[in-house]
Amino acid sequence: METERIEAPRAPSALAGAGFKPRLRTIGVALFVAAYLAATALVARSDLGVQSLVLVAAVFGILAISLDLVAGMLGLYSLGQGGFFAIGAYFTTIVVNSLGWNVFLVLLIVLAVAGVTGLAVGAMSLRVSGLYFAITTFIFTLVLTVLATDLKITGGLQGLLGPAFPDFPGGLEALGTPVAWCVMLALLLCIGFVWSIRQSPLYPVLLSIRDAERFAEAAGARTSLIKIGVFGVSAAMAGGAGWLFSFLGVVSPGQFDWAVSLNILVMVLIGGINTTPGPVIGAAFVSMFPALVNINPWVQEMVYGALSILAVTLLPGGVMSLLKRVAALGGGAASEAEPAVSAFGGTDAPVEAGLFRKFAAGSAGAARAGVPEPEYAVECRGIQFSYGTGLKVLRDVDLAVKRGHIHGLIGPNGSGKSTLANVIAGRLQPLAGATLIKGVRVDGASPSKRAKLGMRRTFQAAELVRELTPIQNVMVGLFDLMPRIIQRAAFWPFLPSGRRDLAWMEGRSREALEMVGAGAWVGRAVGDVPHGVEQLTQLASVCVAGPDIIILDEPATGLSAREVDHLAEILTHLKAQGVTMIIIEHQTRFLFPICDRVTVLNAGEVILTGTADEVRAHPVVRQVYLGE
Amino acid sequence: MLQFVVSGLAIGAVYGLIGMALAITFYVTRIINFAQGQMMMATVMVTAELYAAGYPTWAAAILGLGCAAVLGVLSYLIAVRPILAFNRFSFGWLVSTLGFAVILENAAAYIWGPTSQAFPSMFEETSFHLFGAVLTGQQLLAISTAAVLTAGFELVRRGTLFGKIGMATAADPEMATAVGVNTTVVAIVAFAASALYAGVAGLLIGPTTFANPYLGDTFGTFGFIAMMIGGGTEKPIAAMFGGLLLGVCAEGANAMINSQASDWFPFIVLVVVLIASPRGLFSAGNLFRSRGRAAAAAEA
Repeated sequence: METERIEAPRAPSALAGAGFKPRLRTIGVALFVAAYLAATALVARSDLGVQSLVLVAAVFGILAISLDLVAGMLGLYSLGQGGFFAIGAYFTTIVVNSLGWNVFLVLLIVLAVAGVTGLAVGAMSLRVSGLYFAITTFIFTLVLTVLATDLKITGGLQGLLGPAFPDFPGGLEALGTPVAWCVMLALLLCIGFVWSIRQSPLYPVLLSIRDAERFAEAAGARTSLIKIGVFGVSAAMAGGAGWLFSFLGVVSPGQFDWAVSLNILVMVLIGGINTTPGPVIGAAFVSMFPALVNINPWVQEMVYGALSILAVTLLPGGVMSLLKRVAALGGGAASEAEPAVSAFGGTDAPVEAGLFRKFAAGSAGAARAGVPEPEYAVECRGIQFSYGTGLKVLRDVDLAVKRGHIHGLIGPNGSGKSTLANVIAGRLQPLAGATLIKGVRVDGASPSKRAKLGMRRTFQAAELVRELTPIQNVMVGLFDLMPRIIQRAAFWPFLPSGRRDLAWMEGRSREALEMVGAGAWVGRAVGDVPHGVEQLTQLASVCVAGPDIIILDEPATGLSAREVDHLAEILTHLKAQGVTMIIIEHQTRFLFPICDRVTVLNAGEVILTGTADEVRAHPVVRQVYLGE
Repeated sequence: MLQFVVSGLAIGAVYGLIGMALAITFYVTRIINFAQGQMMMATVMVTAELYAAGYPTWAAAILGLGCAAVLGVLSYLIAVRPILAFNRFSFGWLVSTLGFAVILENAAAYIWGPTSQAFPSMFEETSFHLFGAVLTGQQLLAISTAAVLTAGFELVRRGTLFGKIGMATAADPEMATAVGVNTTVVAIVAFAASALYAGVAGLLIGPTTFANPYLGDTFGTFGFIAMMIGGGTEKPIAAMFGGLLLGVCAEGANAMINSQASDWFPFIVLVVVLIASPRGLFSAGNLFRSRGRAAAAAEA
């Protein structure tokens, strides 16, 4: 088959006119850093009272950022930050005081120890998700606090006096207190770190792991590994905060107990979860609060309790959401015109055939020229499956999908269609039988591994990140095509290659959305677009990778008649580019005209595979499915 | 040997009651009320105060329990309901229930001061001898009260319409609403009942610990461990078994290792149990029963 292969990730196609905004951003970043350094100099030369207030707030700022990294971007509400914080502080104090090692060497060790502990805790507690993750990390902090209280080496309840921070080398004394510079620069580094991640293509991937894990998995992301890895980074960051904290005075168990972990969460929620400035604002407010009100300590604690209740009940988005709302009021009426809500935003114009060539099968993948293409794209042999020990949902199912075909999969509700799709995509492992993708056996391979073979899928209920734009969602689909996204995410906007690749990814995602006819909706959040556009975004996020095989799970559900026609046209164009498709669908009027072959399932068994006409004529099918 | 088992069961009954209190609210709303230990503390403080003011012990105890129930309902209305109404899966309650606990604890410290006060004892000087172990009247009361309350809870849950409504709400609040259950009423009753359970725990342990505003912290934590060891997040009565096990382990550690061991030994038990069986020892879907069902439920 002759398909035009676009030289992918290298070609910067959509760079024209993109030079202005980055330059403005560079100036903004430079101004911010300059102002920050000036403020640091001011703090470093001010009196000790002010200094300790600001520095403690900055340490908690780092802790809040470390929590927001996992809670905001991945939805993992860790109550273990206090524990990692304690590891950093106690380790530094004990090692520096008793062995006298260089503090910066100790920092490296602390980062490694806290990070590895984080990986271990993460690997263990992510077996159980959601609330259980919070509970397990909570227990981790409980246990560490008990250890710190009861061990001899940690000085019991009184704690230990932290080590002294080394002085500046000669000539730099005019800068003020060295530890102030160290703390403030560390905070700046952490702010820069999360800011870079938010600018990088990793950000939509992380959010999709949080909100739509199956989608991220199907796009080739190894979601559990990413979760554990990010949690390890967050733990290292909290350990680093402990290292800084040990230079600020006494280290004792009360400073790390579970209430501290929850206070860090209060900071994140008050400031604004999943924002870059929010955690820092919240940390500054919470840690400076006692000094600001200066009343009876019990009354002050009561006021604090009341404030944290009010913050989470009345202002779930935190201070940042308030600021955004104020800014929106001030910025006023610059909102875009609403695209017509008719079929797919009024895309009555014929689908633009030219665009499809860019998304032909294998167009963005590795060059596979010379390798003889197998006859069958997907083969299932003797698949058996049941949920738990219950009834067999699939019984000895055989399915062979020829390369370049559109293969329909029909059957009554509960006949095992979606289960079969999940088995092919790797989400479910069959009890018996073999699955082959392009002639290669893939039994036991994870969904992300199968995605790398050029297979993509959509979901019956669209799995997307509702707070991101369609473009950002579609970019998730490019995850496994763009090399080293994770490694580069920490300093993405500062890399020329990062800026170039991001522009390419955005350009290609925009084209994919235009191709499916959702080009008018790229500017708003997916949560605000109509159902049909959501479905198209899902389709675009699949097509953008130029896959060889697409599994579509009830793509026409909930679409209007005109939208269904539009969808059929898109699929026909994709087929012309050599894409193999497996479509699960109930609407035979939509499915039969575009299908090469149709397989009918009933009660977990294949009744028949044939052309649409054969299927339509088959007496059993007429009886059990078409209802005649 | 038998001595620490017996006294362990007595203190374990108290942990178990607090664990059940945590589990009952969790059962209905899927949140952990961090202010649960403070409900127990409030009962103890109010009872001690009223007793000092000359009320008879039983009246002081009943008023103390009533106070806890009111606080329990308030904690739901103020710290839980607004958050679940906004987003049923949000984690804001971690913060708001802790905020409620902070308010209660510091209010108590503000009113009564941070030092301990006398608490009326219920069975002075009564003790029984049982195969060489000594059991005080107070300990016997703790064990028998816990048995009655545990059995009572299970009877109500299984045998009454209200219990079934509670189970329906626990399984799927939206569906329960759809068939006409007023989930707010269910939740209010659950929070009041759980505060009562915590309050009873306070009355049982008060004569030993005396009345202190910071009681809630320690006992809240041990109640939480009881719930997690037992698997109370799936089945409230499992928290009672977890509590009994925890009590015996703690007393056993004191007897076998040293007198401080009960501070840290329970945490080791907790970690070991959670690594071996993340859902707790006495819930469904644990090590000793079939895992198939749990796996199927998770996939569906």
